[in-house]
Amino acid sequence: MSEEKQQIDVGSLSFEESMAKLEDLVKRLEGGNLDLDESLQVYEQAVALREHCRKILDESDRKVQSIMETASGEKRQDFSEIE
Amino acid sequence: MSERLTVTELNTRVKELFGSSPGLNGVWVVGEISNFKLYSSGHSYFTIKDAGSEIRAVMFKSARSRIDFAPGDSMKIEAFGHLDLYVERGSYQFIVESMKKSGIGDLYQRYEALKMKLEAEGLFKTERKRKLPQYPRTIGVVTSPTGAVIHDILTTTRRLFPVDILLAPAQVQGEGAARSIVAGIELLNRAGVDVIIVGRGGGSLEDLWAFNEEPVVRAIVASRVPVISSVGHETDFTLADFAADMRAPTPTGAAQMAVRDRAEIHRQLNDCTLRMNKALAAVTERMRARFNSVDAKLSPRRAQERIDYLGMKLDDLSSRASSAVRDRVSVMHRRLLTVEGRPEPALKATIQRKRGAAELLLARVEPAMRAVCVNNRYREQKVSVRLDALNPYSVLDRGYSFVAGPDGRAVTSVKGLAVGSHITVRMRDGKAEADITDREEYQ
Repeated sequence: MSEEKQQIDVGSLSFEESMAKLEDLVKRLEGGNLDLDESLQVYEQAVALREHCRKILDESDRKVQSIMETASGEKRQDFSEIE
Repeated sequence: MSERLTVTELNTRVKELFGSSPGLNGVWVVGEISNFKLYSSGHSYFTIKDAGSEIRAVMFKSARSRIDFAPGDSMKIEAFGHLDLYVERGSYQFIVESMKKSGIGDLYQRYEALKMKLEAEGLFKTERKRKLPQYPRTIGVVTSPTGAVIHDILTTTRRLFPVDILLAPAQVQGEGAARSIVAGIELLNRAGVDVIIVGRGGGSLEDLWAFNEEPVVRAIVASRVPVISSVGHETDFTLADFAADMRAPTPTGAAQMAVRDRAEIHRQLNDCTLRMNKALAAVTERMRARFNSVDAKLSPRRAQERIDYLGMKLDDLSSRASSAVRDRVSVMHRRLLTVEGRPEPALKATIQRKRGAAELLLARVEPAMRAVCVNNRYREQKVSVRLDALNPYSVLDRGYSFVAGPDGRAVTSVKGLAVGSHITVRMRDGKAEADITDREEYQ
């Protein structure tokens, strides 16, 4: 019962990894082979992953940059359209 | 004797001769247009001439839709078609099936030759095409910084999924365009984008030419990152389009291929939530079912009550435990996310403590209930035996009787029982009424 909690560091996962992991956990829960403790543990992780995904989705600030090769290497700068 | 023919027969023979002569069919004629007339029927009539000669030409409405410019007088063109005789007038004319502005013929031949060569190398094979990432973090774009392509991509991704955009500004037509596009693709590969969109807006074959040049095609093939092409209009196919992993009809279409709609992902997450909750409820339900199977073994009433009570408590505790843990975990995780950046030991300790509290909550689930819940037949039976022992009726099976006084309460002492008192004796399968005829109290 008191097995080590395989806590994953949700914050470090990419969106793609989080979605895959979330789907995996939901399937495990649905599989129904877990006892109450395990189920709650999996549920807890799934909630954290879902919140992580939602957070990424709702982050509205994105970077729009242009990149150019210069003599001194790559140069990036913010890009906005010229109206 | 020589044949005698009608005029119609003669002209018909000439017409047939034209039709069966390979040198007069499927040929390109180079010249300049004059006397161009477009009739309301949609057919065009004109003369094609060069310095030494001229020929009458017809372009039917159906052929006109295949060309991307409006022909007119003095225009230098190359017309593709066949020679035909108009029997009624005995005049021959060139039937134009397709037409290009002059100079392009050269390009067109180069296009066909290069296409064949690269195709033979297998560069356009479907098996070569890579899958686009489902959730790119950064989209690289190789195009003009002032064109419609970057504008449409920015607009569409803003609406669907605001990913980072990294633009490699490129010259998309004219001298040096191919070099500029190749440099952009290579630069974005080094910069580590997840997918590249390369393209430009519509234009003539010459305008789009850079996307038919070998270095551009090879750069697309060599790209480590999948490439979406969006060159010209839907009907223009460049070699870059054949080489790209995906070909978009428009820049907006390219952006739609590159990212998923955020709203749709939100729906998917909500669906996950429903499934998770349903699965957790099923776990609780399963425990109750297990409990009921124990319950079924304990028929006597007292045990029934006890089990009903425990069942109620189980429902209550398990729903409290799961919702409390769920709430706390999501609060804790939200806090963790904000705290992670600044490692304050006090805050970390708080989180640790809260996590502990949540676990304590789980631990509070009554041990008896837990024993029943555990997926363990042995324990189930043990509980069942223990409950059996508590059940006063089960001892009757072993030959004991149950004596009740006139008030219906158990009689446990001879004190208070007088000769003549009425008692009820309960046994395993029934009861008997009796009167006391004698009594003796042990010393």
